[in-house]
Amino acid sequence: MILIHPFAKPLIKGGINPKTPGVEYWKELIALIDEPIIQVGIEGEEQLVPEFFKNLPIPRLRELISECRTWIGIDSFFQHLAWDEGKPGIVLWSVSDPLIFGHPENINLLADRKNLASNQFLWWDFTPHNLDAFVKPEKVLEFL
Amino acid sequence: MDKILCSIATRGRYYSTFPLVLSAIINQTKLPDKLVIFDDNDEPKDMRQELAYYYFFQMLELKGVKWEWVFAEKKGQHHIHQMANTSDCQWVWRVDDDAIPEPNVLENLYRIATKIDNVGAVGGSVLTPPLIFDTSKSTGKIADIDLEPNIQWNVIHNITEVEHLHCSFLYRAGVHDYNLGLSRVAHREETLFTYGLHQKGYKILVVPDAVTWHMKNPQGGIRSETRQEMYEHDEKIFRNIIGNSGNNIVVLNSGLGDHIVFNRILPEIPNPVVFTCYPEVVSGRSIAEATTLFGDLDQWNIYKKMAQWKWTGSLEAAYRKLYL
Repeated sequence: MILIHPFAKPLIKGGINPKTPGVEYWKELIALIDEPIIQVGIEGEEQLVPEFFKNLPIPRLRELISECRTWIGIDSFFQHLAWDEGKPGIVLWSVSDPLIFGHPENINLLADRKNLASNQFLWWDFTPHNLDAFVKPEKVLEFL
Repeated sequence: MDKILCSIATRGRYYSTFPLVLSAIINQTKLPDKLVIFDDNDEPKDMRQELAYYYFFQMLELKGVKWEWVFAEKKGQHHIHQMANTSDCQWVWRVDDDAIPEPNVLENLYRIATKIDNVGAVGGSVLTPPLIFDTSKSTGKIADIDLEPNIQWNVIHNITEVEHLHCSFLYRAGVHDYNLGLSRVAHREETLFTYGLHQKGYKILVVPDAVTWHMKNPQGGIRSETRQEMYEHDEKIFRNIIGNSGNNIVVLNSGLGDHIVFNRILPEIPNPVVFTCYPEVVSGRSIAEATTLFGDLDQWNIYKKMAQWKWTGSLEAAYRKLYL
């Protein structure tokens, strides 16, 4: 079983977080994976697979992490939690720097460092969303 | 070669003690690399039109000292000093606009600061004639601050390690932040600042042969506010900080993931007192309480710190730099 954590917190001003590739990207990626998938997230996020666990407390998330074969996520608290749990996974990066916010135990997929935000320490509201900043879904499959 | 910034905040003293201070700086045996004047006057003027100032600026340029006149935001001198603290200079010599240094002050402060390992700040005597206090039993420790005259209020005969400094001193820039939660009077701001350097493990020294004459002037001054509640507000923050002197204050005013990463280093921090947004991840007291106790929390803001440090390492390493 593979666990996915697809979405980062929405921006303060509203709109998609540039650290999130978006619904269509995830649908494309999920279609390529021939393995049971569960999704974790919060209320209001789009459901991408039949099993979607919302608003779970941290201990329950840790249980799911330990039960899955691996996981795919983006740069959000979840990648830190899974790292803390000792379960390596795949992190899809775009504008935030995996050398600062990532963990070398994970597979950190970044299309190109030229897409990184020039200031890594501001709110992400000031950074435009760029789907091309993410590696293509078929590339992710090579590391699964 | 380290760069030295000389920083002065001034208010209401254009025509009294401030020109004396400028003259004293220009005539130092070791000159700073740059002089920055933060003008906090209610009605600031272009002092380049004043003859004495005109000559001062010419003298600075002839001596190769860059200078800058900054019109400050009238928030108090702690905001001004924080601007100097985060400049690109390695050392900041802060001078008051009514405190006149003898010609050898910067040379001797800098010599000691760079001769002895791990110095955070170094100050000399700050004398207000005709007063000379008996400091023979003064320790310079924060715990004795209510019990003794400041060790800088008399002639200093030996290099002595203390825990806090007063008025004018040379300090290592970018290590510890001024507490921007203090009111405009910034009561005890320099004591809190130098004590913060001490708490970070840097030596705070008083040294001989570095006398500054403090011509206390009831007219003007960066602290020329009379509202008692401002002093009471600042005193409360001061007491709360020194009341935690045996502890390491940790403020996690950040995201859930940051708390998870921080958790890895928590066991290595001696005597932590933690304030947290996510007590289910890192247990502790509330951020609202931290704000009430300490005023400003920016000195613990890991994102602000990483931006200030132009950080390229990991988040965990940044937390280590901040707390260990």
